[in-house]
Amino acid sequence: MTQQVLVVDDEAPARERLQRLLSELPDCEIAGMAANGEEAVRLAGVLHPDVLLLDVRMPGMNGLEVARHVALLPEPPAVVFTTAYDAYAVEAFEAQAIGYLLKPVRAEKLAAALQRAARLAAAPLARIAAADPARAPRTHVAARLGDSVRLIPLTDIYYFAADQKYTTVRHKVGSDLIEDALRALAEEFGARFVRVHRNALVNTQCIAAIERDAAGQYYLTVRDVNERLAVSRRLAGELRERLRL
Amino acid sequence: MEEPSEALAPPPLVIATATRPPKSLNLPDFCAARAVLAVVLIVTLTAVVLTVARQGTALNFWLELARNSLFLLWIGMGSAAVLCLLRRQLQELPIPLASSVALGSVLAVIALISAAVLWLGNSTLLGVRTTNLLLPEAPGRFFAANLGIGAIVAALALRYFYVSGEWRRNVELQARARVHALQARIRPHFLFNSMNTIAALTRSDPALAEEAVQDLADLFRANLNEKRANITLKEELEVARIYQRIEQLRLGERLHVIWDVTDLPMRAMVPGLLMQPLLENAIYHGIEPRAAGGIVTISGALDGGIIGLTVRNPLPEEGDSVHAGNRIALANIRERMELLYPGRSSVEATRIGDEYIVRLRFPYVEDSTRTSSL
Repeated sequence: MTQQVLVVDDEAPARERLQRLLSELPDCEIAGMAANGEEAVRLAGVLHPDVLLLDVRMPGMNGLEVARHVALLPEPPAVVFTTAYDAYAVEAFEAQAIGYLLKPVRAEKLAAALQRAARLAAAPLARIAAADPARAPRTHVAARLGDSVRLIPLTDIYYFAADQKYTTVRHKVGSDLIEDALRALAEEFGARFVRVHRNALVNTQCIAAIERDAAGQYYLTVRDVNERLAVSRRLAGELRERLRL
Repeated sequence: MEEPSEALAPPPLVIATATRPPKSLNLPDFCAARAVLAVVLIVTLTAVVLTVARQGTALNFWLELARNSLFLLWIGMGSAAVLCLLRRQLQELPIPLASSVALGSVLAVIALISAAVLWLGNSTLLGVRTTNLLLPEAPGRFFAANLGIGAIVAALALRYFYVSGEWRRNVELQARARVHALQARIRPHFLFNSMNTIAALTRSDPALAEEAVQDLADLFRANLNEKRANITLKEELEVARIYQRIEQLRLGERLHVIWDVTDLPMRAMVPGLLMQPLLENAIYHGIEPRAAGGIVTISGALDGGIIGLTVRNPLPEEGDSVHAGNRIALANIRERMELLYPGRSSVEATRIGDEYIVRLRFPYVEDSTRTSSL
């Protein structure tokens, strides 16, 4: 069976080289090439490749984040990371037994890695990301959408609200359900988002006002969409201080 | 001068030990103005101390001070001259012996000048009335006192020169060690990415691959060269341009570098590895994290004998903090500039809007015979 490979790297010479090496391997076809993370997630949802050859260090959405998003696809591709030099990532891949290749990639190692390539669950990838000394939060969150995923840029998000099982993302073009737990989101995006209630996490840039009704309940108003969210009494003072409202 | 204590030993700098000469008594060059000034200061202060201590028994304070200063200046200058002549020989001796020889020669100078003063007093060259006022009565006590005071002051002074010399040398060694550390640090990410680019080019564009290999060789030669401490601005800018060429292959359209350096005096001497690390930082932190890339601007001007160099780059779209690696490189450059141009250079990094700007200012020096161990 021929493997369909999606090559993801922000550097043209690196893509070119992988393309050539792959073309010389039997049982292997190039499904497509992506020059950045967003494109990679989009193409993975459209082309349904078997394997992603994924550069770790890319501008914007890095390789680890791409892998976390594509893990949400109904039939996620296997992932092999490529890196020129990244001691931290290599150590983490070794620890989690995740396949990786060092650039410049050797043809025989590429062949072996493609054979062993395994599907990755989002969880171990999230663990690697959380252990990253740079602690870079994701640039997007992803929602399942049929047989692809929808990427929602963090800057477009007004708030996250937790239901029983899912978390709702309210963003510029509507709302979506995602699988991340509110607690994990609060930890990851703590620089930009603030917990206002047991079940709500709000973008600090999008809070227009905080008010109190006759019954003593606090509310905040979300800028642009003019929605009101309950604020817990305990967090109201803290929130006002942080926002200087 | 006694055995130097263990506390004086330089801190353990593993990288630097190889370049450190065997331990010897490193006194300053006593023919140089700087050391002579220090000797004059020590001598004058000693004269003041002696004069103040003898007040009450003595004549007019100022006359006494003048007499002491004159006498001690002869001793000081004589000692400096002897130590200047002996400098090379002293460096070859083990420290205890060298210290003894140095101290002995200072005492010999004191004895000689004391004898000369006595002889001058007994001769008829000067008027009798003056000599009676100025010259000591008891020659034996005169010699003993001079040698005793001389031994103590000279020992303290030699110790001071030795310690401050060692201190200055340690500062230089540390700076050199940091250069080594910087050289080692800039490599991996860049090296492996370049290798990958070259591997791709060997098939698609062999001529370009050949050029890239040559550029990489030149860049590493420049990086490994220990004598590159002080080079001309022209050479330094050339290294930065080579660096840019290699990165250009990898980043393509994403990297634009504007060079606005035609107004700079290309013969100016600069510490090596000045521009290339700054350009590397600008690309690594400013261009690579941006999907659309950006423009790095390198500009420079000469203004009133001061060279100003500016490197500006856009900040990444996301992320806010200035990376630790960047601060290390800046601190490194700041220290080396301070060593070359003490108090006359500055390194500033500022963030204005969405731009990151590094400004260097240092004096325009053309002299290629500058003697600095760095």
